[in-house]
Amino acid sequence: MKFIVCIKQVPDVNAPLQIKEGQLIQDTDRMILNAYDASAVEEALVLTEKQGGEVEVVMVGSEKAKETLRKALAMGAAKGTHIVVDQTENFDSAAYAQILSKYFEKSEYDFISCGKQSQDTDSGLTGSMLAELLDLPYVTNAVGLEYENDQLVVTRQGDAGREIVELPNPGIVTCSNDMNEPRIPSLKGIMQSKRKPVDTVSLSDLGLDPSSVDKMTTILGYQEKPGREPGKKFEGEPDQIAKEVVHLLDEEANVL
Amino acid sequence: MSTLLTYIAIAEGKIKRSSLEVLSYCVKLADENDHESAALIIDPDPEKYTDTVKKYGPSKIYTIQDPIFKNHLNTPLLKALSVAMDKVNPRLTAFASTEGTKDVLGALAANREAAALPDVSSFELTDKGVKAVRPVMASKINSEVSAEGESVIVSVRAGSYDLNEKEADTSIETIDFGFDESELRITLREIITSSSERIDLAEAETIVAAGRGAKDEEGQKLVSELASLLNAGIGASRALTEAGVYDPSLQIGQTGKVVSPQLYIGIGISGAIQHVAGMANSKVIVAINKDPDAPIFDIADYGIVGDLYKVLPPFIEEIKKIKN
Repeated sequence: MKFIVCIKQVPDVNAPLQIKEGQLIQDTDRMILNAYDASAVEEALVLTEKQGGEVEVVMVGSEKAKETLRKALAMGAAKGTHIVVDQTENFDSAAYAQILSKYFEKSEYDFISCGKQSQDTDSGLTGSMLAELLDLPYVTNAVGLEYENDQLVVTRQGDAGREIVELPNPGIVTCSNDMNEPRIPSLKGIMQSKRKPVDTVSLSDLGLDPSSVDKMTTILGYQEKPGREPGKKFEGEPDQIAKEVVHLLDEEANVL
Repeated sequence: MSTLLTYIAIAEGKIKRSSLEVLSYCVKLADENDHESAALIIDPDPEKYTDTVKKYGPSKIYTIQDPIFKNHLNTPLLKALSVAMDKVNPRLTAFASTEGTKDVLGALAANREAAALPDVSSFELTDKGVKAVRPVMASKINSEVSAEGESVIVSVRAGSYDLNEKEADTSIETIDFGFDESELRITLREIITSSSERIDLAEAETIVAAGRGAKDEEGQKLVSELASLLNAGIGASRALTEAGVYDPSLQIGQTGKVVSPQLYIGIGISGAIQHVAGMANSKVIVAINKDPDAPIFDIADYGIVGDLYKVLPPFIEEIKKIKN
C-alpha cells in the first residue's frame, strides 16, 4: 500500500502577528508543518507500519520550506517531492489543487491523503478539489482510518454523528488532527532524513506556466478583529461571587 | 435576472437554522440588487420542508428528490448540486458552513470551475462577483477576500446573519434527478450518533463548555446538571474530547465546531487560541477557572476566579431559584 501525503508549510498561529497597512506581517522564522497534515503523515505511517507499504510526501512551497519536507521525512516518510515555487502568498486552494493534480497525474499511489484544512487559512477546500480534478472518490474530515481488503475504512465526523465510510483504492482522504498525536522525530529519524531522496520539481516540469496557475480568489487585505474587552472579574468567597454573577446574568445581561 | 441560490441543509429530519440565516440574508440581497432569490432542498422528501422555507421569502424553491439523500454522502450530493446549478445558473450559490457543506464545497467549486469563499463571516455582492470577510489565523484576524466570476460559491459561519421572515409569492419547481447506486463509489457502513448530540452546538442558545479543569466525574456531573438546568448544549475543549471524556462532535474550536450562543459558560477552560477561535462570537461569555491568569478571562464578560467544585454548586442553586 502506498500513501502519498500532501503537506504544506504554514505560519505558526501561536506566533505573534501584526497588521501594517492591511498587510499581514509574520515572523518568517516561525513556519511549521501544518498540524492537520502532520496527523495525515502520522496516520499513513501507522497504517503502513501495520499493513506494510510506504509513505511518500509531496509539498508545494518555496525553497525555504524544504525544512518542513525534512520534518515529514524525519517522522518516517520514505521519500519526498518538493514542487518548488517562488512564492505561495498568492496561491489559493484552487491553485494548490491544480498544481498537485498535475503531479498526481504522473504518480503512482494507492491512496492520497492530506490535512482537512490549513491551520492558517482554515479553508478546507484543496482535498476535495483535488479529488474532483483527479476524478477520485474521497472522504473528508477523517477521525479514524483502518485498512481492510484493499480499501480504507474511514471514520469521519459528520453533522449527524460519526460516519463510517468505505473508500476504495485509489482514493483521497483528508484528516482531522483528532485522530492521533503526530510523533516527534527521533534523533535517528532526523539523521536518516538527510539521506532520504527528495525530488525537486518545478511548475514547468509539471507542464504548468507559473503565470497561468489558476488562482480563483484574491486576498484584498487584513483587518484586526474587533476585540472583546475583558469584563468583570470576581474573586473571593465562592458562595457570594456565584450568587452575584447569577444575578448579573439575569438582570444585567438578560441571558437566563 | 440573476439568481442567488441558497442550499437548505437538512440533518436528521431538521433544517439547519444556519442555512435559514443564509437564506434570510440572500433574500435581502436579492431585493436590494434586483435579483431573484431561490432556495434548494435536496432530500428523500423535500415537500416536508417547503412550508418552513417559504416563511423566509424566497421567490422560488427548487427541490431534488431521491431516497439516496437519506444520509449524507458526498457523491450524490455533489451531483445534485451540480445539476441544480446547471438548471438555475445562479451568480451566487450560498451554503451554511456545516460538516456536510465542508465535505463537498471544494469538489463542487472544481466541478463548476467556480471560485469558492469558504466559512465567511460576512459577504456582499460586487460588480464582478463577491467580496467577503473570513476569520483566519485561528480567528485572530480577519482577511478580506474577493472572488470574481459568473458563478461564485460561498459558505457562511453559523450565527453570522439573523433569521428574517418575509411574505412572498413563492413558486416551487422540481428538478429532474436520477442517481444510480453504481455511481456511488464510496459506501456508508453506519452512522454512530451519541445521544449527547441532540442539541446542535452550532445552533444552541446556551452552551456549557467543559475543559481540563472539569475532567473528573464530579466535574462532569456539575457540567451536566448546569446544562440541563439551562437547557444548554454541552461542549468541550480539545483536551477533553481527546481524552475520550466527551464525544468528538462536542469539541468547540478551530478543529471542531464554531459556536455563537447567547450565553457561553466555560468551566475549567483556560482559553487556548484554538478553543477561542470557536467561541469568541458568543454574546455573553462566563468563565469559571481557578487560574486568575487564564487567557479566557481576557475575553470573558463575567470571569469567576475560583475552584469550580466550590463555585458551581452555589451557582447552580442560585439559577434554580431564578428558574422557579
